[in-house]
Amino acid sequence: MNIRLKTFSTAVGLALACTAAAQNAPIRIGVVTPLSGTYAGIGQQVKWGLDLATSEINAAGGVLGRKLELIYEDEEANPAVATQKAEKLFQVNKVDFLTGTVNSGSTLAVGQVAERNQRLIATTVSFADSITGEKCSPNVFRVNARAGMQSAALAEWLAKEKPNASVFYLGPDYEMGRSTVAAFKHAAEGKGAKTAGEIFAPLGNKDYSPYFGQIRAAHPGVLYTSVAGNDTVRLFTQLSEFGLGRNLQIVGASGTVTSQNLPAIGKAAEGFVTGVGYSPLIDSPENKKFVAAFQSAYKTLPDLYGADSYGVMYFFKAAAEKARSADTDKLRGAMRDLQWNTPQGMKKLRAGDHQAMQDMYAVRVSDGQFRIVGRVPAEAAVGPDHCAKF
Amino acid sequence: MSELLDWLQFVLSPQMINGLSIGVAVILMALGLTIIFGLLDVINMAHGEFYALGAYLAFALLSAGLPFWWALALVPLAMLAVGYLTERLLIQRVFNSGDRHTLTLLLTLGLGIVMEDALKILFGANPLRVEAPISGATEMLGLFFPNYRLFLMAFGATLIAAVWLVVFRTQLGAMVRAAAFDRNMAGSLGVPVARVYAATFAFGVALAGLSGVLLAPIYSVFPTMGRDFVLMAFSVVIVGGMGSIKGAVVAGLILTQIQSISSLYISPVWSDPLLFSIMVLVLMWRPQGLFGKLGHA
Repeated sequence: MNIRLKTFSTAVGLALACTAAAQNAPIRIGVVTPLSGTYAGIGQQVKWGLDLATSEINAAGGVLGRKLELIYEDEEANPAVATQKAEKLFQVNKVDFLTGTVNSGSTLAVGQVAERNQRLIATTVSFADSITGEKCSPNVFRVNARAGMQSAALAEWLAKEKPNASVFYLGPDYEMGRSTVAAFKHAAEGKGAKTAGEIFAPLGNKDYSPYFGQIRAAHPGVLYTSVAGNDTVRLFTQLSEFGLGRNLQIVGASGTVTSQNLPAIGKAAEGFVTGVGYSPLIDSPENKKFVAAFQSAYKTLPDLYGADSYGVMYFFKAAAEKARSADTDKLRGAMRDLQWNTPQGMKKLRAGDHQAMQDMYAVRVSDGQFRIVGRVPAEAAVGPDHCAKF
Repeated sequence: MSELLDWLQFVLSPQMINGLSIGVAVILMALGLTIIFGLLDVINMAHGEFYALGAYLAFALLSAGLPFWWALALVPLAMLAVGYLTERLLIQRVFNSGDRHTLTLLLTLGLGIVMEDALKILFGANPLRVEAPISGATEMLGLFFPNYRLFLMAFGATLIAAVWLVVFRTQLGAMVRAAAFDRNMAGSLGVPVARVYAATFAFGVALAGLSGVLLAPIYSVFPTMGRDFVLMAFSVVIVGGMGSIKGAVVAGLILTQIQSISSLYISPVWSDPLLFSIMVLVLMWRPQGLFGKLGHA
């Protein structure tokens, strides 16, 4: 009897301990991001931003009393690889939430994996409008500014500085490139710019010189480009080597020139203007604190990817605390219309299409810094809700 | 009228000069391929990876602190050794079997895959940057052209001329041509055929490695860098005539000019399909190519 009672109480004790352990087990967050390939530099900023926010949140007691744990997988900026890695994170590592996708194609593909696994993902980098537009998904959120918002800020600047300019478009040949070019063309033509021509080069293109013929023939006053990562380094270096940079104002997507590839481009990036949701020079206490922490941890400045990836952890924290759970349906409900604080100030997640709303800036590269030269408020930049799925 | 002149000067001519600089690089690659085929009757599927290996060797030497010019001199020497050993230790094992074409093709294809993955393991998958040894640009007639590309054209053209001189104007070249024409007869006249074979293979591989060094500052260095480029070189060799040196030069110039000028009107991504269509047409109507084989013409 005595022994039985003892066994029973041990069993009860064990069961209690197990429940407590489950409640205190870390919340696992999967990160599928390019750690190698053309976009490795972007993946690095994503990782730094996520790591910094996670260590801050864990140091302050975690979320709902549980620590956050990040599990990384390399997607090589390749949607086919990204879906395999996401499937693995959902099925094997049982992650509660997933983020980090960079390539817009990867975000769309991983969104479908998330739908099948009944989990939520958030991108902090992908620009393609379709992600929160006609290809929107109830399981996909975007906390960064999309192509259309960046275009709105840049088009505003262009109309003011170079009215009725003739613009040539050069984009990378995939979802993001086509979508950014279409978005900016629409915004710029709406404000009086003319189109001199457009051309698309493959992702990871090595030699842009064959593309210069059409640019020379079109005599544009402005070149818009949305290449990113190491592609920008090659494009800008070759543009300046071939003397095409003279008498040509180069503008582009916010991912084209960032703190990550700016040192490699060097002087060839001077004067480049873009519309963007972040600059390390944003003058707010939140941003100053973030930039200082980022710089002391990684000895480099954050770019938009680092800032938005930092912000997504606080987005998750705010949503989980509002929902009091990491359960998919409760989280989704909490994320809709959620307002949370980021280095860029308060952001609001629009419930209708899962797109974050934020103020947008036009910035110009001068002396290796992104100087703010224009600003468009969130409501004017975000554009209409084209999502019809939920 | 002035509009036409303007177009010729500022649109067409830079595009053609640029095509020429790419053409010279492609010809260097194609020369190695065509000489190996012309003499050994071996289609070297690993040629693109030898090109990548040359670029990586240059990167390693530069990282060790040597100047670019040293790499330009040392890498071809190292590649000569690599090529010589490859021929002696691998190619010779299957060379005398009845199924020579299939076996050497499979052997070099496998070798290429192993080399590409070995480079990936050693250096990682990310593209590595090699600084051009000559920076800046030269202005001619209102056109800007990067100095390094001008150097590439001059150096490449000199190399091509040197290869032609060696093959057609020296005793060494005569031995190579004799061995290509009739190996048994050449052997009985005292030509050391086995060594000539290995040395020629090594020479072709060294040319590929040298192209790798020369193009590293333009295309940067990554494990799959040989793949796209060797396809261009293969189409040049097929159009010019398998094994013909003159053919490789002429076809290399024609194809890269077609590529460059067509890029003014269609997206440059379409220039590859265009070149391969030309290659298919040549295979259909003139399978021997524009010129005959080494030692036969």
